Amino acid sequence: MVIPLIGVSQSIERIRELIKHVADTGLNIVITGESGVGKEVVAQNLYYHSPRKTKPFVKVNCAALPDGLLESELFGFERGAFTGAERKKRGKFELAHQGVLFLDEIGDMSFPLQAKLLHVLQSGEFAPLGSEKEVKTDTWIIAATNNELEKNIKTGNFREDLYYRLNIIKIFIPPLRKRPEDIPPLVDYYIEQYTSQFDNKQLLRPNSQAMDRLMAYHWPGNIRELQNILKRFLVICDWDEITDELINRPVSLVDTTPTSITTPSPASTPSLAEASEPLFDFNDGNAPELDAFSLKEIRKKALDKVEKQAIEYVLDKTGWNRSKASKILKISYKTLLYKISDLNIIPPR
Amino acid sequence: MTKQQTILVIDDNEDVLTTITQFLSQKNFTILSASNGLDALKICETEKEAIDLIITDLVMPSISGVAIISIVKEKYPNIPIVAITGWGEHPESLAAEAKADIVMEKPFDLSHLHNIIKKLLDGK
Repeated sequence: MVIPLIGVSQSIERIRELIKHVADTGLNIVITGESGVGKEVVAQNLYYHSPRKTKPFVKVNCAALPDGLLESELFGFERGAFTGAERKKRGKFELAHQGVLFLDEIGDMSFPLQAKLLHVLQSGEFAPLGSEKEVKTDTWIIAATNNELEKNIKTGNFREDLYYRLNIIKIFIPPLRKRPEDIPPLVDYYIEQYTSQFDNKQLLRPNSQAMDRLMAYHWPGNIRELQNILKRFLVICDWDEITDELINRPVSLVDTTPTSITTPSPASTPSLAEASEPLFDFNDGNAPELDAFSLKEIRKKALDKVEKQAIEYVLDKTGWNRSKASKILKISYKTLLYKISDLNIIPPR
Repeated sequence: MTKQQTILVIDDNEDVLTTITQFLSQKNFTILSASNGLDALKICETEKEAIDLIITDLVMPSISGVAIISIVKEKYPNIPIVAITGWGEHPESLAAEAKADIVMEKPFDLSHLHNIIKKLLDGK
Protein backbone atom coordinates (compact mmCIF):
# COMPACT_ATOMS: atom_id res chain seq x y z
CA MET A 1 0.00 0.00 0.00
CA VAL A 2 1.30 3.41 -0.94
CA ILE A 3 2.01 5.98 1.77
CA PRO A 4 -0.57 8.73 1.34
CA LEU A 5 0.46 12.32 0.81
CA ILE A 6 -0.30 13.78 4.24
CA GLY A 7 -1.05 17.47 4.72
CA VAL A 8 -3.70 20.15 4.70
CA SER A 9 -1.58 23.03 3.40
CA GLN A 10 -2.45 24.67 0.11
CA SER A 11 0.79 23.43 -1.45
CA ILE A 12 0.06 19.79 -0.57
CA GLU A 13 -3.56 20.13 -1.74
CA ARG A 14 -2.22 21.50 -5.02
CA ILE A 15 0.23 18.60 -5.40
CA ARG A 16 -2.60 16.11 -4.78
CA GLU A 17 -4.65 17.82 -7.46
CA LEU A 18 -1.73 17.85 -9.86
CA ILE A 19 -1.10 14.12 -9.31
CA LYS A 20 -4.71 13.38 -10.29
CA HIS A 21 -4.33 15.35 -13.52
CA VAL A 22 -0.98 14.00 -14.69
CA ALA A 23 -0.64 10.48 -13.27
CA ASP A 24 -2.18 8.88 -16.34
CA THR A 25 -0.02 10.77 -18.86
CA GLY A 26 3.31 8.94 -18.53
CA LEU A 27 5.07 12.29 -19.13
CA ASN A 28 8.50 12.75 -17.58
CA ILE A 29 8.39 14.36 -14.17
CA VAL A 30 10.98 15.98 -11.91
CA ILE A 31 10.18 16.23 -8.21
CA THR A 32 12.21 18.82 -6.30
CA GLY A 33 12.52 19.78 -2.65
CA GLU A 34 14.89 19.58 0.30
CA SER A 35 16.03 16.24 1.72
CA GLY A 36 13.31 14.51 3.69
CA VAL A 37 10.28 16.36 2.28
CA GLY A 38 8.79 13.21 0.77
CA LYS A 39 9.81 13.20 -2.89
CA GLU A 40 9.60 9.42 -3.09
CA VAL A 41 6.14 9.49 -1.51
CA VAL A 42 4.98 11.83 -4.28
CA ALA A 43 6.59 9.53 -6.89
CA GLN A 44 4.79 6.51 -5.41
CA ASN A 45 1.50 8.40 -5.38
CA LEU A 46 1.94 9.25 -9.06
CA TYR A 47 2.62 5.58 -9.77
CA TYR A 48 -0.30 4.42 -7.63
CA HIS A 49 -2.75 6.68 -9.47
CA SER A 50 -1.42 5.68 -12.90
CA PRO A 51 -2.45 2.81 -15.19
CA ARG A 52 1.06 1.40 -14.50
CA LYS A 53 0.35 0.59 -10.86
CA THR A 54 0.32 -3.17 -11.47
CA LYS A 55 3.77 -3.00 -13.13
CA PRO A 56 7.10 -2.54 -11.34
CA PHE A 57 8.20 0.60 -9.50
CA VAL A 58 11.99 0.53 -9.63
CA LYS A 59 14.10 2.97 -7.66
CA VAL A 60 17.71 3.94 -8.34
CA ASN A 61 19.68 6.39 -6.21
CA CYS A 62 22.03 8.12 -8.65
CA ALA A 63 24.18 9.51 -5.83
CA ALA A 64 24.76 6.22 -4.05
CA LEU A 65 26.71 4.41 -6.76
CA PRO A 66 29.97 5.20 -8.55
CA ASP A 67 29.52 6.10 -12.20
CA GLY A 68 30.45 2.75 -13.80
CA LEU A 69 28.29 0.79 -11.40
CA LEU A 70 25.33 3.12 -11.93
CA GLU A 71 25.63 2.63 -15.69
CA SER A 72 25.54 -1.16 -15.36
CA GLU A 73 22.69 -0.91 -12.84
CA LEU A 74 20.63 1.18 -15.23
CA PHE A 75 21.33 -0.57 -18.50
CA GLY A 76 22.51 -4.03 -17.44
CA PHE A 77 25.30 -5.95 -19.14
CA GLU A 78 26.01 -8.98 -21.29
CA ARG A 79 28.13 -11.89 -20.14
CA GLY A 80 31.79 -11.00 -20.69
CA ALA A 81 31.07 -7.25 -21.07
CA PHE A 82 33.90 -6.56 -18.63
CA THR A 83 36.18 -8.47 -16.27
CA GLY A 84 34.00 -10.16 -13.71
CA ALA A 85 30.81 -10.06 -15.78
CA GLU A 86 30.33 -13.81 -15.57
CA ARG A 87 26.65 -13.75 -16.33
CA LYS A 88 24.21 -11.45 -18.06
CA LYS A 89 22.49 -8.91 -15.81
CA ARG A 90 19.25 -7.09 -16.55
CA GLY A 91 19.34 -3.35 -15.94
CA LYS A 92 16.77 -1.24 -14.14
CA PHE A 93 15.41 0.07 -17.43
CA GLU A 94 14.57 -3.48 -18.40
CA LEU A 95 13.18 -4.31 -14.96
CA ALA A 96 10.99 -1.18 -15.00
CA HIS A 97 9.58 -1.93 -18.46
CA GLN A 98 5.93 -0.76 -18.59
CA GLY A 99 6.31 0.54 -15.05
CA VAL A 100 8.12 3.42 -13.38
CA LEU A 101 11.83 4.10 -13.03
CA PHE A 102 12.36 6.49 -10.12
CA LEU A 103 15.74 8.19 -10.52
CA ASP A 104 16.53 9.73 -7.14
CA GLU A 105 19.25 12.40 -6.84
CA ILE A 106 19.32 12.89 -10.61
CA GLY A 107 21.40 16.06 -10.12
CA ASP A 108 24.33 13.84 -9.08
CA MET A 109 24.40 11.82 -12.28
CA SER A 110 27.63 12.24 -14.25
CA PHE A 111 27.67 14.15 -17.51
CA PRO A 112 28.51 11.10 -19.73
CA LEU A 113 25.72 9.08 -18.13
CA GLN A 114 23.31 11.98 -18.63
CA ALA A 115 24.00 11.65 -22.38
CA LYS A 116 23.06 7.96 -22.26
CA LEU A 117 19.89 8.71 -20.32
CA LEU A 118 18.99 11.39 -22.86
CA HIS A 119 19.40 8.84 -25.65
CA VAL A 120 16.93 6.48 -23.94
CA LEU A 121 14.43 9.28 -23.39
CA GLN A 122 14.68 10.37 -27.03
CA SER A 123 14.63 6.97 -28.68
CA GLY A 124 12.98 4.68 -26.13
CA GLU A 125 15.92 2.31 -26.63
CA PHE A 126 19.12 1.42 -24.85
CA ALA A 127 21.99 -1.00 -25.28
CA PRO A 128 23.17 -3.07 -22.30
CA LEU A 129 26.95 -2.87 -21.70
CA GLY A 130 28.76 -5.20 -24.06
CA SER A 131 25.79 -5.47 -26.41
CA GLU A 132 25.44 -3.96 -29.85
CA LYS A 133 21.74 -4.60 -29.92
CA GLU A 134 19.37 -1.89 -28.72
CA VAL A 135 16.52 -2.96 -26.44
CA LYS A 136 13.17 -1.16 -26.52
CA THR A 137 11.84 0.18 -23.24
CA ASP A 138 8.54 1.72 -22.23
CA THR A 139 9.43 3.23 -18.90
CA TRP A 140 7.88 6.20 -17.13
CA ILE A 141 10.71 8.31 -15.77
CA ILE A 142 10.13 10.14 -12.52
CA ALA A 143 13.28 11.89 -11.31
CA ALA A 144 13.94 13.65 -8.03
CA THR A 145 16.55 16.07 -6.82
CA ASN A 146 17.30 18.39 -3.95
CA ASN A 147 19.56 20.42 -6.22
CA GLU A 148 18.40 23.24 -8.40
CA LEU A 149 19.07 21.74 -11.81
CA GLU A 150 18.93 25.22 -13.38
CA LYS A 151 22.03 26.14 -11.37
CA ASN A 152 23.72 22.87 -12.34
CA ILE A 153 23.15 23.80 -15.99
CA LYS A 154 24.83 27.16 -15.45
CA THR A 155 27.83 25.52 -13.79
CA GLY A 156 28.06 22.99 -16.63
CA ASN A 157 27.14 20.01 -14.45
CA PHE A 158 23.79 19.20 -16.02
CA ARG A 159 22.81 18.94 -19.68
CA GLU A 160 20.30 21.55 -20.78
CA ASP A 161 18.70 19.22 -23.35
CA LEU A 162 18.18 16.53 -20.70
CA TYR A 163 16.79 19.13 -18.30
CA TYR A 164 14.05 20.19 -20.74
CA ARG A 165 13.25 16.60 -21.65
CA LEU A 166 12.88 15.55 -18.01
CA ASN A 167 11.25 18.71 -16.80
CA ILE A 168 8.00 18.29 -18.73
CA ILE A 169 6.26 18.40 -15.38
CA LYS A 170 7.90 19.72 -12.24
CA ILE A 171 6.55 19.15 -8.75
CA PHE A 172 8.10 21.25 -5.99
CA ILE A 173 7.49 20.12 -2.41
CA PRO A 174 8.02 22.99 0.04
CA PRO A 175 10.03 22.35 3.23
CA LEU A 176 8.04 21.47 6.35
CA ARG A 177 8.90 24.78 8.05
CA LYS A 178 6.96 26.59 5.30
CA ARG A 179 3.82 24.55 5.99
CA PRO A 180 3.54 24.03 9.79
CA GLU A 181 -0.19 23.33 9.42
CA ASP A 182 0.82 19.94 7.99
CA ILE A 183 2.60 18.91 11.21
CA PRO A 184 -0.48 17.85 13.27
CA PRO A 185 -1.86 15.53 10.54
CA LEU A 186 1.65 14.14 9.97
CA VAL A 187 2.10 13.48 13.70
CA ASP A 188 -1.32 11.81 13.83
CA TYR A 189 -0.52 9.64 10.83
CA TYR A 190 2.84 8.45 12.14
CA ILE A 191 1.53 7.87 15.66
CA GLU A 192 -1.09 5.60 14.15
CA GLN A 193 1.54 3.85 12.04
CA TYR A 194 3.97 3.31 14.92
CA THR A 195 1.18 2.24 17.27
CA SER A 196 0.31 -0.56 14.90
CA GLN A 197 4.00 -1.47 14.52
CA PHE A 198 4.74 -1.50 18.25
CA ASP A 199 1.50 -2.81 19.64
CA ASN A 200 2.79 -3.01 23.19
CA LYS A 201 3.15 0.79 23.27
CA GLN A 202 0.30 3.13 24.09
CA LEU A 203 0.96 6.27 22.08
CA LEU A 204 -0.97 9.42 22.87
CA ARG A 205 -1.18 12.47 20.66
CA PRO A 206 0.98 15.37 21.91
CA ASN A 207 -1.01 17.93 23.88
CA SER A 208 -1.61 21.33 22.34
CA GLN A 209 1.46 22.92 23.97
CA ALA A 210 3.74 20.18 22.65
CA MET A 211 2.11 20.42 19.23
CA ASP A 212 2.73 24.19 19.21
CA ARG A 213 6.37 23.46 19.97
CA LEU A 214 6.55 20.97 17.11
CA MET A 215 4.93 23.47 14.77
CA ALA A 216 7.32 26.24 15.77
CA TYR A 217 10.41 24.10 15.18
CA HIS A 218 12.16 24.61 11.82
CA TRP A 219 12.62 20.95 10.83
CA PRO A 220 15.81 21.15 8.74
CA GLY A 221 15.51 17.41 8.07
CA ASN A 222 11.82 17.82 7.22
CA ILE A 223 9.43 14.84 7.51
CA ARG A 224 12.28 12.36 7.88
CA GLU A 225 13.42 14.25 10.98
CA LEU A 226 9.87 14.34 12.35
CA GLN A 227 9.63 10.56 11.87
CA ASN A 228 12.97 10.06 13.63
CA ILE A 229 11.95 12.20 16.58
CA LEU A 230 8.64 10.37 16.95
CA LYS A 231 10.41 7.00 16.75
CA ARG A 232 13.09 8.10 19.19
CA PHE A 233 10.55 9.24 21.71
CA LEU A 234 8.65 6.05 21.22
CA VAL A 235 11.70 4.08 22.25
CA ILE A 236 12.80 6.37 25.07
CA CYS A 237 9.58 6.78 27.01
CA ASP A 238 5.82 7.10 26.94
CA TRP A 239 4.00 10.10 25.54
CA ASP A 240 3.36 11.82 28.90
CA GLU A 241 7.09 12.11 29.42
CA ILE A 242 7.64 12.98 25.79
CA THR A 243 5.28 15.95 25.81
CA ASP A 244 6.87 17.25 29.03
CA GLU A 245 10.30 16.83 27.51
CA LEU A 246 9.28 18.65 24.34
CA ILE A 247 7.90 21.61 26.24
CA ASN A 248 10.95 21.86 28.50
CA ARG A 249 13.47 20.78 25.93
CA PRO A 250 16.40 23.21 25.91
CA VAL A 251 16.84 24.67 22.47
CA SER A 252 20.52 23.69 22.46
CA LEU A 253 19.59 20.03 22.79
CA VAL A 254 17.25 20.16 19.82
CA ASP A 255 18.63 17.94 17.10
CA THR A 256 20.00 20.61 14.78
CA THR A 257 22.13 23.69 14.44
CA PRO A 258 21.01 26.99 12.95
CA THR A 259 23.40 26.60 10.01
CA SER A 260 21.18 23.90 8.58
CA ILE A 261 18.15 26.17 8.42
CA THR A 262 19.64 28.47 5.87
CA THR A 263 21.52 27.35 2.83
CA PRO A 264 25.25 27.40 3.36
CA SER A 265 26.66 29.94 0.95
CA PRO A 266 30.33 30.89 0.77
CA ALA A 267 29.58 33.89 2.97
CA SER A 268 27.62 31.89 5.53
CA THR A 269 29.70 28.74 5.59
CA PRO A 270 30.78 28.14 9.15
CA SER A 271 34.47 28.31 9.79
CA LEU A 272 36.04 25.37 11.56
CA ALA A 273 36.89 27.72 14.39
CA GLU A 274 33.17 28.22 15.07
CA ALA A 275 32.89 24.52 15.74
CA SER A 276 34.79 24.96 18.97
CA GLU A 277 32.20 27.38 20.36
CA PRO A 278 30.50 25.93 23.44
CA LEU A 279 27.21 24.14 22.89
CA PHE A 280 25.70 25.87 25.91
CA ASP A 281 26.57 28.95 27.86
CA PHE A 282 26.35 27.56 31.36
CA ASN A 283 26.29 31.07 32.83
CA ASP A 284 23.33 32.62 31.00
CA GLY A 285 20.61 30.20 31.91
CA ASN A 286 20.70 28.54 28.51
CA ALA A 287 22.11 25.30 29.89
CA PRO A 288 19.97 22.18 30.04
CA GLU A 289 17.90 21.45 33.10
CA LEU A 290 19.86 19.33 35.58
CA ASP A 291 17.61 16.34 35.08
CA ALA A 292 18.19 16.57 31.32
CA PHE A 293 21.99 16.32 31.70
CA SER A 294 23.66 13.36 30.09
CA LEU A 295 27.38 13.46 29.36
CA LYS A 296 26.92 10.83 26.67
CA GLU A 297 24.22 12.89 25.00
CA ILE A 298 26.30 16.08 25.24
CA ARG A 299 29.33 14.27 23.79
CA LYS A 300 27.25 13.06 20.87
CA LYS A 301 25.79 16.52 20.24
CA ALA A 302 29.25 18.09 20.35
CA LEU A 303 30.70 15.50 18.00
CA ASP A 304 27.76 15.83 15.61
CA LYS A 305 28.12 19.61 15.60
CA VAL A 306 31.85 19.51 14.82
CA GLU A 307 31.44 16.81 12.17
CA LYS A 308 28.54 18.66 10.56
CA GLN A 309 30.47 21.92 10.32
CA ALA A 310 33.58 20.17 8.98
CA ILE A 311 31.58 18.32 6.34
CA GLU A 312 29.63 21.45 5.36
CA TYR A 313 32.91 23.35 5.05
CA VAL A 314 34.52 20.74 2.77
CA LEU A 315 31.36 20.28 0.69
CA ASP A 316 31.16 24.01 0.17
CA LYS A 317 34.83 24.21 -0.85
CA THR A 318 34.40 21.35 -3.33
CA GLY A 319 31.16 22.76 -4.78
CA TRP A 320 29.26 19.78 -3.27
CA ASN A 321 31.37 17.27 -5.16
CA ARG A 322 30.76 14.39 -2.74
CA SER A 323 33.41 12.19 -4.24
CA LYS A 324 36.14 14.83 -3.79
CA ALA A 325 34.82 15.75 -0.35
CA SER A 326 34.97 12.14 0.87
CA LYS A 327 38.62 11.92 -0.25
CA ILE A 328 39.52 15.15 1.56
CA LEU A 329 37.70 14.02 4.71
CA LYS A 330 39.35 10.58 4.40
CA ILE A 331 36.07 8.73 4.79
CA SER A 332 34.35 6.47 2.31
CA TYR A 333 31.87 7.92 -0.17
CA LYS A 334 29.12 5.83 1.42
CA THR A 335 29.96 7.10 4.90
CA LEU A 336 29.82 10.67 3.63
CA LEU A 337 26.36 10.11 2.11
CA TYR A 338 25.21 8.58 5.38
CA LYS A 339 26.53 11.53 7.37
CA ILE A 340 24.97 14.06 5.02
CA SER A 341 21.63 12.40 5.62
CA ASP A 342 22.12 11.70 9.33
CA LEU A 343 23.35 15.20 10.18
CA ASN A 344 20.71 16.86 7.97
CA ILE A 345 23.25 18.66 5.84
CA ILE A 346 21.26 20.58 3.24
CA PRO A 347 22.79 21.35 -0.17
CA PRO A 348 22.80 24.95 -1.41
CA ARG A 349 19.64 25.96 -3.34
CA MET B 1 -24.74 35.55 -37.13
CA THR B 2 -21.84 33.12 -36.73
CA LYS B 3 -20.86 31.80 -33.31
CA GLN B 4 -17.82 33.44 -31.71
CA GLN B 5 -14.90 31.06 -31.62
CA THR B 6 -13.23 30.32 -28.29
CA ILE B 7 -9.49 30.43 -27.65
CA LEU B 8 -7.74 29.32 -24.47
CA VAL B 9 -4.59 31.35 -23.83
CA ILE B 10 -2.02 30.00 -21.33
CA ASP B 11 1.00 31.98 -20.16
CA ASP B 12 2.58 32.47 -16.72
CA ASN B 13 3.70 35.95 -17.73
CA GLU B 14 0.76 38.21 -16.90
CA ASP B 15 1.88 40.92 -19.34
CA VAL B 16 2.04 38.50 -22.28
CA LEU B 17 -1.27 36.92 -21.23
CA THR B 18 -3.01 40.31 -21.04
CA THR B 19 -1.57 41.51 -24.36
CA ILE B 20 -2.69 38.40 -26.26
CA THR B 21 -6.12 38.12 -24.63
CA GLN B 22 -6.91 41.82 -25.16
CA PHE B 23 -5.80 41.64 -28.79
CA LEU B 24 -7.85 38.52 -29.53
CA SER B 25 -10.92 39.90 -27.72
CA GLN B 26 -10.78 42.88 -30.08
CA LYS B 27 -10.71 40.40 -32.96
CA ASN B 28 -14.03 39.00 -31.75
CA PHE B 29 -12.88 35.76 -30.16
CA THR B 30 -14.22 34.51 -26.85
CA ILE B 31 -11.22 34.21 -24.57
CA LEU B 32 -10.47 31.81 -21.74
CA SER B 33 -7.18 32.28 -19.95
CA ALA B 34 -4.94 30.51 -17.45
CA SER B 35 -1.69 31.59 -15.87
CA ASN B 36 -0.51 28.05 -15.04
CA GLY B 37 -0.72 24.55 -16.46
CA LEU B 38 -2.95 23.01 -13.81
CA ASP B 39 -5.66 25.66 -14.19
CA ALA B 40 -5.35 25.26 -17.97
CA LEU B 41 -5.94 21.50 -17.76
CA LYS B 42 -8.99 22.06 -15.55
CA ILE B 43 -10.40 24.53 -18.09
CA CYS B 44 -9.72 22.03 -20.88
CA GLU B 45 -11.74 19.42 -19.00
CA THR B 46 -14.73 21.61 -18.27
CA GLU B 47 -14.74 23.55 -21.56
CA LYS B 48 -13.56 20.86 -23.96
CA GLU B 49 -16.65 21.26 -26.15
CA ALA B 50 -16.25 25.01 -26.37
CA ILE B 51 -12.52 25.42 -27.02
CA ASP B 52 -11.65 25.90 -30.69
CA LEU B 53 -7.93 26.60 -30.31
CA ILE B 54 -5.23 26.81 -27.64
CA ILE B 55 -2.28 29.17 -27.43
CA THR B 56 0.27 28.11 -24.83
CA ASP B 57 3.59 29.29 -23.53
CA LEU B 58 6.10 26.44 -23.33
CA VAL B 59 8.30 27.09 -20.32
CA MET B 60 6.15 27.46 -17.20
CA PRO B 61 6.58 26.26 -13.63
CA SER B 62 4.97 22.93 -12.68
CA ILE B 63 3.08 21.77 -15.80
CA SER B 64 4.95 22.95 -18.88
CA GLY B 65 3.44 23.90 -22.21
CA VAL B 66 4.96 20.73 -23.67
CA ALA B 67 2.95 18.70 -21.13
CA ILE B 68 -0.23 20.60 -22.02
CA ILE B 69 0.30 19.96 -25.74
CA SER B 70 0.92 16.22 -25.13
CA ILE B 71 -2.13 15.86 -22.88
CA VAL B 72 -4.49 17.89 -25.10
CA LYS B 73 -3.35 16.11 -28.28
CA GLU B 74 -3.96 12.76 -26.57
CA LYS B 75 -7.38 13.61 -25.16
CA TYR B 76 -8.73 16.19 -27.62
CA PRO B 77 -6.76 15.72 -30.86
CA ASN B 78 -8.97 18.06 -32.88
CA ILE B 79 -8.04 21.19 -30.96
CA PRO B 80 -5.22 23.01 -32.78
CA ILE B 81 -2.41 24.36 -30.61
CA VAL B 82 -0.08 27.30 -31.12
CA ALA B 83 3.04 27.10 -28.92
CA ILE B 84 4.90 30.30 -28.09
CA THR B 85 8.33 30.42 -26.51
CA GLY B 86 11.30 32.58 -25.85
CA TRP B 87 13.54 29.84 -24.50
CA GLY B 88 15.38 28.60 -27.57
CA GLU B 89 15.73 25.34 -29.42
CA HIS B 90 15.09 22.66 -26.75
CA PRO B 91 11.51 23.58 -25.79
CA GLU B 92 10.73 24.29 -29.44
CA SER B 93 11.80 20.85 -30.63
CA LEU B 94 9.93 19.19 -27.72
CA ALA B 95 6.78 21.13 -28.63
CA ALA B 96 7.07 20.00 -32.26
CA GLU B 97 7.62 16.42 -31.05
CA ALA B 98 4.46 16.73 -28.93
CA LYS B 99 2.65 17.72 -32.16
CA ALA B 100 2.02 21.41 -31.60
CA ASP B 101 0.50 22.71 -34.84
CA ILE B 102 2.67 25.82 -34.91
CA VAL B 103 5.65 26.87 -32.76
CA MET B 104 6.26 30.63 -32.62
CA GLU B 105 9.24 32.38 -31.13
CA LYS B 106 8.76 35.39 -28.88
CA PRO B 107 8.70 38.25 -29.66
CA PHE B 108 6.18 37.93 -32.48
CA ASP B 109 3.89 40.22 -34.37
CA LEU B 110 0.28 39.99 -33.12
CA SER B 111 -1.13 40.30 -36.64
CA HIS B 112 1.06 37.32 -37.63
CA LEU B 113 -0.46 35.37 -34.72
CA HIS B 114 -3.93 36.39 -35.91
CA ASN B 115 -3.21 35.10 -39.43
CA ILE B 116 -1.97 31.78 -38.06
CA ILE B 117 -5.07 31.42 -35.88
CA LYS B 118 -7.37 32.11 -38.84
CA LYS B 119 -5.54 29.52 -40.98
CA LEU B 120 -5.71 26.86 -38.25
CA LEU B 121 -9.40 27.50 -37.55
CA ASP B 122 -10.26 27.48 -41.26
CA GLY B 123 -8.49 24.17 -41.61
CA LYS B 124 -10.41 22.50 -38.77
